[in-house]
Order: sequence, then C-alpha cells, then structure tokens
Amino acid sequence: MPLVEESPTGFDARRFLADLRREVETHPGVNHTFLARIGTSPFTHEDYRVFGLQHYPLVGMFTGYMERLLIHAPDTTAKCWLAKVLVDEYGEGSDGDDHTILYRRFMTAAGVGPGEEDTVVLHPAVRDFIHTHLVLCSQRPFLVGLGALGPGHEWAIPRMFTPIIAGLERAGFTGDEIAYFKLHIEQDEHHAIWLEEALAGMITTPEEAAQVREGTLASLEARLRFWEGVQEQVVRWRQPGLGLAMSERTRQWLAGTNSWLGTWTTGLAVSTAVYRPQVHSLAQRIPIR
Amino acid sequence: MRILLVQPAPFEDARLGLENTFWLSEPVGLTSIGTMVQDTHEVRILDMRLEKPATLPETLRSFQPDIVGTTAMTTDAYQAKAVMLLARQLLPDCLTVIGGHHATFMPEFYDEEYVDVVVQGEGELSFEDLVQIWDRALVADDKPDTRVLAVLQGARVHLPDGTWTEGSKPKWREIDDFPAPDRNLIQQYKGQYFFLAAKPLASIFTSRGCSFDCNFCAIWEFYDRKTRFLSAKNIADQMEACEETFLFLLDDNFLTNHTRLERLCEELEERKLGKYWMTQGRTDFIAKYPDLIARLSNVGLTGVLSGYETNDEDALEGLNKRSTLEANRKAAEILRKNGILSTGIFMVRPDFEVADFDALYDYIADLGVTFPLVTILTPLPGTEMFRKYRDQLLTEDFRLYDLLHPVIPTKLPREEFYKHYTRYRTVYRRSRNGWLTPRLAWKRRDFLMKLMPNMPRTIIQGLKYQKIQFDYRSYLRDEAGIIEDVRPAAPVPEEETTHAAG
Repeated sequence: MPLVEESPTGFDARRFLADLRREVETHPGVNHTFLARIGTSPFTHEDYRVFGLQHYPLVGMFTGYMERLLIHAPDTTAKCWLAKVLVDEYGEGSDGDDHTILYRRFMTAAGVGPGEEDTVVLHPAVRDFIHTHLVLCSQRPFLVGLGALGPGHEWAIPRMFTPIIAGLERAGFTGDEIAYFKLHIEQDEHHAIWLEEALAGMITTPEEAAQVREGTLASLEARLRFWEGVQEQVVRWRQPGLGLAMSERTRQWLAGTNSWLGTWTTGLAVSTAVYRPQVHSLAQRIPIR
Repeated sequence: MRILLVQPAPFEDARLGLENTFWLSEPVGLTSIGTMVQDTHEVRILDMRLEKPATLPETLRSFQPDIVGTTAMTTDAYQAKAVMLLARQLLPDCLTVIGGHHATFMPEFYDEEYVDVVVQGEGELSFEDLVQIWDRALVADDKPDTRVLAVLQGARVHLPDGTWTEGSKPKWREIDDFPAPDRNLIQQYKGQYFFLAAKPLASIFTSRGCSFDCNFCAIWEFYDRKTRFLSAKNIADQMEACEETFLFLLDDNFLTNHTRLERLCEELEERKLGKYWMTQGRTDFIAKYPDLIARLSNVGLTGVLSGYETNDEDALEGLNKRSTLEANRKAAEILRKNGILSTGIFMVRPDFEVADFDALYDYIADLGVTFPLVTILTPLPGTEMFRKYRDQLLTEDFRLYDLLHPVIPTKLPREEFYKHYTRYRTVYRRSRNGWLTPRLAWKRRDFLMKLMPNMPRTIIQGLKYQKIQFDYRSYLRDEAGIIEDVRPAAPVPEEETTHAAG
C-alpha cells in the first residue's frame, strides 16, 4: 500500500522516477570499470583489505547523513521513510548489528587490525565523497539531499554490490564475513520500493523533480570519483610511491627552497602521504543549515 | 550495426613492465579488424590505456553498440573480462566477443556467462563473418541468439543452453590481400603513442608468424607455423601513408627474409621518406647480414629490439633459440657501429644461483647493447614451456605472468632471488656502451634532434620506473596473497627506496 497519495498537480512523478532510475542504473559511477574488475579479477584478501579501509568511512558516515537529512525533512511522510531506513541501518533486520559492525567483520576477515581504520591514509576521493554528501544533506534543499541518499544510494547499491560480492566470494570470504554486502542487496531492494512510493508523493512539480535529480547525480558523480580513487589504491598498494627517485637530502633541499620546483617535486613524492583528517572534523566543518 | 572495439587498460598503470611505460603502440589488432567491417558498419575503437576508466561505461551508454569486441595478452586477461562484463551489464542484448593471444591459447578462461564468442587465432576473417551473420540475424529478429553463429570458423560460440561449440581452425589469407588498417579509427589518440622518446609513433605490422620455434614463445603456434609477409612495396606504401616521423614495425621477427628486406631498401631509397623506424629482429640475422643492416640503417632503421636471452650456450639450446653467443656479440657490435639503438632482452631463470646472476650481468655489461632489459623466464600460456611446467606453476593468477615474476619455484629463496634480480641496475653503470660516439651522434643528428622534445618526459618516466623496478620488496608485495607463503614485505622506509637521480 502506498505510503502517500499521488500528486494532485498532474505532474507525472512515476514517469520521472522511472527515467531517473534508468539513469541511475546506467550511470558510470554505478557501472564503474573497477566494479567490473572486482567481478572478474582474482583480487586477494590483501587487495580487499585496502578496499575495505577506503570504503569503511562511507559505511560509517551513512547514518550521519540520514540523521542530518531527517532534521531537514519537511513532513512526517518524509521523516517516516527516512526513519524506516535509519532503523535498518542501526541494525534492525541484522540481529541488532549495525552496519559498521557488519562491515568490521568483513574488514577483520580481510586482515584489518583493530583501530587501523583510524590511521589509514584516505584517498582524496573518499574525503570528497563524504564532504559532498555532508553538504548535500545539510546545506541544500531537502529534496536535493533526498535525491543523493535515496535514488543515489538505494537504487545504485544493489547494482554496485553484485560484482563486489562475486569478487569477494571468489577470494574465499564466507557468507558471514560479507554479510554487510549481501544484506544491502536485500535491504536496499526493499528500501528502493519504499523510496519510490515516498518520492511519488513528494514530487509534485518539475522543480521538485529537478532537485531530486540534482542530488542524485551529484551523489553519483562523487561515487564515480570515489571508485576511481579506490581503484588507484587497490591496484597500486603493492608498489612503492611513484614519486621521482631522488635522495631524501635532495628532496629536503628542494622543499626548503619553497620554489615551484620544490613544491612540485615534493608534491609528487608525498602526494598520498597525507594522514586521515578525521571524518568527524569534516562533519564539524559543515554545519546544518 | 554499431561495433565497439576496446583495447583494455593495463591491470595497474605504471606497473612493472616495459609496455605502457616506455612503449605504447597503437592497437593495430583492433584497427585491423575494425577496418574489415567499417565500410558497412559504424565502428568505434576505445583505447582504455589512454582513457579514464569512466569512458568505457559512458561510451557503452551513449554509443549503444550491438557488438563489443576486445582483445588481451595474458597480463590483460582479466581486464578484457571486465570489459565484457560491463558491456553485458549495461547492454544485455549486445554480443560480446574476445580475441587475441590469451583467448587463443586459453579459450576456456573465457567460459563465462557474459562472453558470447571467443575468436581463436587471427581475427580478421572470423570477425568479418561474425559481423555479417549477426547483422543478418538482427534484421530477421530483434533478439537473435548465438545459435546463428555456431557455423563460425575460428571461434568458440557460447550457445543459449550454456554449452560452447568446439571451435575450429581460423581462416587465413595472404596479408597483402587485407586492407591496410585504417588509422583514422584511432584518430582521437593521434600523437599519444610512443617508444621511449620517439613520439608521436605510428605502428605497422608487416609480417605474421615466425619460422623459429623457441619453446618460451607462442608466436609460431599462434600462426600455426606459417609465416606470411607483406610485400616490400606494401610496407613502403604504409610507411609513406603515416604522418608520423617515427614508426614501429611490430612484427615479432621483422629481420628475416633477406630478399624482401633488400627490396624494401630499394623502395625506401627511391622514396626518401625521412622516417625513423624501429623493429624487432633476431641477433643471428643481424650477425649474418651486416651489409643489409647498414643499408637498412641508411633508410631509417634506428632501433632494434632483440632477444639475446642468455650468456650460456647450453641455455640457448635449451630454449630452442637456434642462435649462438657469437651471434649475440656480433649483432651488438653491428648495431652499435651503425648507430642503431639496440634493446636487448635477457632472461634470468628461476633456477639461477648467485653465480649465475653475476655471470649474466657481467656478460650484459660487456656486450654493449644500448638498453639491456632483464626479464624472468616465464612459461606463458600457449608455449611448449607452459605445457612442460604446468604442474609446477605456483599460481595461475595471470597478473604475475609479466616476465618479471617467477611463477615456478626458484632455487634461491624468493627474497634472495629478487635481491639478485634487482641488482641488474648495476649493469647500466658498468655497461660498455659505445652507441653515442661523437661520430655516430653526428651521423644520427637529425634523429637525435627529433627525439629531444620528448627526452625530458622519458627521463622522468625512467626515474619513476627505477623506483619500482629496482626495489626487490615491490616484487614480493606483488606476490602477497597470490603465491603461497609469501607475506607482504614490510613498508619500505623512504631512505631505502630513493636513490640518486640517474
């Protein structure tokens, strides 16, 4: 049964949603080459360890985005949908284990040690993804944020996780270890149905539809950059940094000159050696408006 | 019909290995099959080595091809699978086709739900037939199934019931009868291909096959022991048609068939194209025909990549190389004397002990080739060696079949093995390299001047590559989780991974 009544304005929200769903499902961020590579290549536990460490901050932040959006929600219909999804994210439907706990199970199986996620070097694209979503959910109109978390996630995740699960199973992870991914395929299919019902009632004008689409595409573009960043980390971790081969003394001297040359060469050498600015500090810098 | 041909990206950009770092050649295989069908169909080529990863899904979405074809050498085998999986995911009705070396020698590797056709051997004629049949099928039926392709020669076809047809010998034809690959199909990448500082670089195939039967090489098996040649006139025509000053003749063994090469010299002497070209050839041929090499040098031959392989006569015999150390020595000298850049490929074998490494490196240093490249003997799929060592393989993860990782057990502990392997950088310091004598530099001044603009890029690439190439721990990390009992090496302290530039 629909959560809400259909739009009385004559705007065909169902048609808009069908088109948007097609756009999401064929978006390069959802069909990234890296995901196809995971589905077909024998990445090892060691490779998935790197993958997990980069992906984990997104898992941990998702409820944070939703809580911010919940504050913004204009009516109880919207709050109701968000609350339903939030309750699942908090652990209902997974024996009380919230999603970060489930994800940690996977990370432990991949070889991540306790607390390691707090010291890992995050790729700039990971920080960019979090930053983008914090802004979308806190500082943009509600429907933009909803577009990002709704269609931008719920319609995208089952499609993205299918090749990931295939890759993880090939690498020998057990069903229990990858429960996080499997659960998301099931749960997000339910969420997607609820979402479509909720959105069909909330979108009554082309302007509202445009806001939802804007948020959806912003999320997917950030997702595209995210997968490129994770791919870079996963396929390159086995190599030493690709900075110019030069002695430490030379590098220090160049850095000391503070010239464009120094900046350029040291930048190349240490471009990935920026330690994780805690995700919380990112969140603090983006107040809810 | 719309046809998309995709050259996969390397597994890891800037990964160990010559290809893509110092040498990026045009995707001639794809250009060649695209040319066969472009008159009647819309053909697009995507070279993912030069594109962002997102370009592939974007192109699939916007171009909506009816057929997606890809190709792979062994190290790209997984990347090609990813191309087809993505195509199937975005366009469930499109036909996915794979060809190339890996598909030819390990067709069962592509027995996947998302693969429709595996072309084995040379692809031009099979692909032309495939396109015709599929086109007719699409006219007759919106959603044809692969049963219509079951008659295809030179291919295995995935039938709707999940089974595969047996496959058959590929069709072949004299290569003079094929249209010249239309380089307009890769117009968008013009100027981006290179060999060292030779950029922009065009690539041409002037023969197929090899009449030798080295047991570590699959070329002669791929072409079913046949060798066919493009005529001298046809080669000169194709060279003339290229706008680029630098050319790479991609033949696996260009320096063979003395008569053809004499005729090519005549053609090029007459045409005076002013092109500089590089190729691959055997040292015994160079040693046997010094006058021909001098003449080829005068018509633009500026670089030769040869397999010198080893410092040990018995080992050469063991590889079925049918050449000698004396031929190696003479070849290096002839190339040097003619101002031709020599790139020499050498092999260390998994059974090497410390003294074997020393002896090989001393030999290389004394030989005086311009660019010595030391690889590790690898039993590649399709070779006699692969069949011989199959039960000793430590892994069938083809990421490591890049000639830089021993995939069979080593006599030395692996860490020790890699420590000695990476010692080969000392060869560059010790090498007796007389290529650039003032006299030769003067003789080659036009060529050298044309290399200058790209020299800084090549030097920077070289410095970056050194850092990977000569750090033994990076090889151990490559193996982590892939070859048993090899754990990730400790993170490399900065001071140990850096060395003075050069």
